[in-house]
Amino acid sequence: MTGPTENGAAVAGAAVGAAAGAAVGAADGPAAGTAAGTVADVAGPPGRTAALVLDRASVAYGDVPVLEELHGTVYEGEAVALIGPNGAGKSTLIKALLGLVPVVRGRIEVLGTSPDRARRDVAYVPQADTLDPDFPISVEQVVMMGRYRKIGWLRRPSAADREHAAAALEQVGLAERARHRFGTLSGGQRQRVLLARAIAAQPRLLLLDEPFNGVDAVSQHTILEAMDALKGRGTSVVVSTHDLAIAHLACDEVCLLNRHQFGFGPTDATLTPERLRATYGGHALELRGDRVIVTQT
Amino acid sequence: MNWFDSTVHRAMIEAATVGALGGVVGVLVVARRLPFFTMALTHATFPGIVIAALLGVDLYLGGGLFGLLVVLAVVALSRGRGQDFTAATGIALSGGFALGVVLVSAQDGFSKDLTAYTVGDILAVSTGDLAATGVVAVGVVLVLILLGKELLLAAFDPTGASALGLPTAVLDFVLLALIEVTVVAVVPALGAVLAVALLVGPAATARLLSDRLAMLFPLAAAIGVGCGVAGVWVSTLWNVAAGASIALLVGLAFGLAFLGSAARTRAGRAAARRLATATGS
Repeated sequence: MTGPTENGAAVAGAAVGAAAGAAVGAADGPAAGTAAGTVADVAGPPGRTAALVLDRASVAYGDVPVLEELHGTVYEGEAVALIGPNGAGKSTLIKALLGLVPVVRGRIEVLGTSPDRARRDVAYVPQADTLDPDFPISVEQVVMMGRYRKIGWLRRPSAADREHAAAALEQVGLAERARHRFGTLSGGQRQRVLLARAIAAQPRLLLLDEPFNGVDAVSQHTILEAMDALKGRGTSVVVSTHDLAIAHLACDEVCLLNRHQFGFGPTDATLTPERLRATYGGHALELRGDRVIVTQT
Repeated sequence: MNWFDSTVHRAMIEAATVGALGGVVGVLVVARRLPFFTMALTHATFPGIVIAALLGVDLYLGGGLFGLLVVLAVVALSRGRGQDFTAATGIALSGGFALGVVLVSAQDGFSKDLTAYTVGDILAVSTGDLAATGVVAVGVVLVLILLGKELLLAAFDPTGASALGLPTAVLDFVLLALIEVTVVAVVPALGAVLAVALLVGPAATARLLSDRLAMLFPLAAAIGVGCGVAGVWVSTLWNVAAGASIALLVGLAFGLAFLGSAARTRAGRAAARRLATATGS
């Protein structure tokens, strides 16, 4: 799996087929051919629009810095995996991309503007087990929440909103569970419902916080398929995960995090044993042939 | 003679209104797991009402303002080091109630007044009180209709609501304010100790009967109205305290619904077993 470097960004670029729009941050020049995988200043071929720019950004809760010196770019229609141990700051980075945690140094640009202003085009998928399973709310009501931003204050969902919600639920394979109470579904199904809520919002950037934790094989497959479909439509995806296999399978780029950035670039080139060892503190890794297994997370 | 001139008729209308109001707001109280906080609010409005009575100003206003102070005190206390929301709520509950008792005991006719404040006096309700309760009920339902979906999202998934750009702190305050005005409307009828019955009981009962949010509001309101009116009727029939009769009927309705759902579902049976162990030990 940890193989040569020539796939990654170039393949994703072809899939996007972006119109010749203004390229933000393309001035850095193409990064192709850097065999070791560039850690910073990853700029793709010109003609693509950056969905996410981290420019030496540091993020802090009050006076306590959580993440420092993040640097990298994610383009439209690309997926980036956030990889790192528990407490590395993956969830904090996702909250910073939503503008819920302040950037204290450097800059984070989301969809060409500040995280605050970009929010209307960003959808966030929390971990299903953070939500109260006893809450009296149906699956279709949860999915409809994805439309609230478009519906606006004081209004009720229109027929078009209901169609979007139904289509999103169909896409995650749970249309027949629409009337069930959210908490009666399995963990994996609840995670898919939350993904459907995000799809219904028609985002340009999708943020997923550990969507594969404790999820069954069917749900994992469905989530990966839905991510691919969104990428095909030009939506960028940020997904935090412990699963390196999923990063290889579904993500064009990875960002290795543990308080600092230990690598940001095309997946296969960046997920090297050395970098993983540095990210996880050296002792939490096991090497089997060319496969890297994280034994402790 | 006007229909409203009858004490019993006025009491029944009041009981029906506070029953519906308590039922509807109770759905949110139960969904957000705020019954204990609500109980603290009902107890803590008590000194406010006593102070208002001593000063000769409006009881609703006194209770309401004092309740607002308690909301702020709970929020401030729970932000302290090593404190949590439940501990702060417990302190506010006992502290508020004790203050009310001290104030009442400083007056003449202590025990009679204390009874009226703690278990209510719904038969003493005036036409003006009826109008005030009605206005509160209409206002609360209006806010729920207008802000229902945002309040729902903020209750179910606060981070998701912030991610959408909703002002979650404002929405939380709106919810607590809705509970507070409901408490102020219910306390004169049922008293500081029994008011929580109408704010938790009908909604908790409805929750046992249905999983669907759209059903919970009318169901809880109907249970609240039923218990309220029946409670007044029982109290005139046997000449017993009206507020306590209402609270007892709410408890009876919950008990029946609990037994019904326990018999229906395996989960219910497991819960009943847990309760049996808890009460048996």
